[in-house]
Amino acid sequence: MATTTYLSNPTLTINSVDLQDQCHSATLTVKYDALESTAFGGTSRVYVAGLGDHELTVELYMSYAASETYSTLASLVGSTTTVTMKPTSGATSATNPSFTLTGTYLEALPVVDAKLGELSSISITFKGGTYSVATS
Amino acid sequence: MAKIISPRVGTPGDEYDETAAAEAGINVEALIEHGFISTSKPRKSAKTAEDQTQE
Repeated sequence: MATTTYLSNPTLTINSVDLQDQCHSATLTVKYDALESTAFGGTSRVYVAGLGDHELTVELYMSYAASETYSTLASLVGSTTTVTMKPTSGATSATNPSFTLTGTYLEALPVVDAKLGELSSISITFKGGTYSVATS
Repeated sequence: MAKIISPRVGTPGDEYDETAAAEAGINVEALIEHGFISTSKPRKSAKTAEDQTQE
């Protein structure tokens, strides 16, 4: 049966700072390098998982006020941190898993991204780190 | 043990376990630098006093 997921209340913490109210888009991609293991006798290419290469891309409204977007991210550029996402703000469970990237790297931070007449919004990507899922 | 200042990290006034946070991959220095938490421990100076002893 087809189902539709409508995420209106996901949670996002970056470096243990709750930025849910500044986030309007997030994509967490779990990826493992595909290592070809095709051998003689095979009739199709086959692969095994290599190193994990996960990414979290989030779009955040920019704010330079205290305890907001800029102050959360400014010291994280060029270093590693931990980010966590959940589909809803409810308790962690099998139907509301908590996804975490530990030791993930923030390569770049657009400190200004402004257009006349629009709220300033930035897109940042956390690369790598150890992926885990909690269901309780 | 540090204290939480910003409600974005937790309940202000509650204790924040820096050691556990660091083990979980949190950049605790960034939280202190931007005022999310405070610590009573003196921060390390970038410079250290040189030994001035002369013979």
